[in-house]
Amino acid sequence: MAELTHGFRIEEEACDGCLACMRACPTDAIRVKHGKAHVLSESCIDCGSCLKACSRGAITATTRTFEEFDRFAFKVAIPSPVLYGHFPREVRPEHIVDGLLAAGFDAVWDYGIEMRLVTLANVDYVKRWRGPRPVISIMCPVVVRLLQVSYPRMLDQLIRVHPPREIAGREAKRHFSEELGLAPEQIAAIYVTPCQARTVSILQPAEGGRSYLDGSVGLPQVYNTVLAEASEAARTGQRHSAWSPVRSADVLRLTLRRPLTELLTQHRYLSVAGLPNVIRVFDDIEKGKLKDFDYLECYACWGGCANGNLTVDNVYVTLAKLQSLIDELPEIDPETEQEVARRYPHEDYSTPRAPAPRGAAVVGDLRERVRRKQEADRIAAILPGLDCGLCGAPACKVLARDVAAGEAEKGDCVFLSRQRLEELRRMHRRPE
Amino acid sequence: MSCCFRVHGRDFEKAGEASTEIKSLLKDLEVDPQIIRRAVVVAFEAEMNVVMYADEATVTFVLTDEDISIEAVDRGPGIPDVAHAMEEGWSTATDEMREMGFGFGMGLPNIRRNSDLFDISTQVGVGTAVTARIKLDDHG
Repeated sequence: MAELTHGFRIEEEACDGCLACMRACPTDAIRVKHGKAHVLSESCIDCGSCLKACSRGAITATTRTFEEFDRFAFKVAIPSPVLYGHFPREVRPEHIVDGLLAAGFDAVWDYGIEMRLVTLANVDYVKRWRGPRPVISIMCPVVVRLLQVSYPRMLDQLIRVHPPREIAGREAKRHFSEELGLAPEQIAAIYVTPCQARTVSILQPAEGGRSYLDGSVGLPQVYNTVLAEASEAARTGQRHSAWSPVRSADVLRLTLRRPLTELLTQHRYLSVAGLPNVIRVFDDIEKGKLKDFDYLECYACWGGCANGNLTVDNVYVTLAKLQSLIDELPEIDPETEQEVARRYPHEDYSTPRAPAPRGAAVVGDLRERVRRKQEADRIAAILPGLDCGLCGAPACKVLARDVAAGEAEKGDCVFLSRQRLEELRRMHRRPE
Repeated sequence: MSCCFRVHGRDFEKAGEASTEIKSLLKDLEVDPQIIRRAVVVAFEAEMNVVMYADEATVTFVLTDEDISIEAVDRGPGIPDVAHAMEEGWSTATDEMREMGFGFGMGLPNIRRNSDLFDISTQVGVGTAVTARIKLDDHG
């Protein structure tokens, strides 16, 4: 398998081996060896928990620098609606367009139309679906990767409809290449992302194939410029841009994880946020529960995308601002409705294939794996079971498994080896 | 490799725990996902039958190089008409059970469908024993 791309990197120099990231990782994908954290790539689902946990700033998100997009003739911003909840109340979406243009984009895309199109496609898909229920949303790339790593049998339940951002990228490229007489490859569709997982999903879609988007920039990367310019435009009332990229409430409502359509407002729709909650619900589905639900929307972040790890404001402020925008906007505007009705029957929204299972490569035959498992159980029985993490693995059971696989030693446990304790003492001695 | 679980009748709170443990064990052993799915369905349905109808049972899981066997031996009412119970959609479940999403008459048929070898023996007033085997392929 080709090496997996992840949305962050660990700077060895800055890492002091404090174990915080390892403890935060929901898939046990981090080990700390010789005082440095490292990632087991196959098990990482790009949730960004480690990024938030690191107080040393040693783990950084890898988004693109803006200059990397200079090779394109024309740059279109496709901002996550979360962006619109990040500014003072007097700064309107149309002012934010000015801010994005000042930040170096040539145009800003109104992606409310694609949101509606994809919602329609989702509803049609759910109605037609004859396989096991519930159908699971692919909006959150972390959830898709969690299924690949931990619930491979449920991958078929992932909806095979592109998320709105992808369809927006495709349409933006088509639109501007036609309008400007440029080749689609000369036009960059750039997602302004609230999390680094989206960046990864663009670089390396779980469904295979290529993303319609050319890359992403993190919201913090453009925030200061956009804030300055948008505030100025709001203050002076002078705008370069005449239109608003947010014309109806439903676009923003999706960001608040509120159902949008008749099907989804019935009891057969569930919305779940926060990785531990998502894991609980997936465990229930594996046990055969929740079959009466049609559609399941899951987000790795508490509070949904407004709480992504590349946002600026705290989630509550962002959600309150989005809500007040929703209150002011019409439910749906005729222009959007017309465009949706015109485009819907002519476009294909389906993804090329279901994401494939992922995880550590299978080692040895069954007999060998049983031997290892029994060995791991034996080792686990002599470990203290306190999950202190000082051995460099997140739990005693994980260390036991690593030892049985020959990737760690029993002596890594401070309860079993005095030497290990001394080593840690030396490594983490505070200056007098 | 084998393990044993006690399952108690009417204990809906803990229902599904044995099959969840069997699942995580098979996952740890990196057994083929299709086989895990079948084994978990078998274990889950067997467990639910005990929870719904019997007093208590022992569920035994055995893994060999050739196959997985799951055996549920319960102390309970037994089944008067086994042929009927093997029909899809036939159930003696109460409304309460149906409200919880069970009792659609798919339990035993589901176990048989997902196993390569299936055996049931029952005695009214004494109990029921269900044995299912799932063959492992070359990849285990």
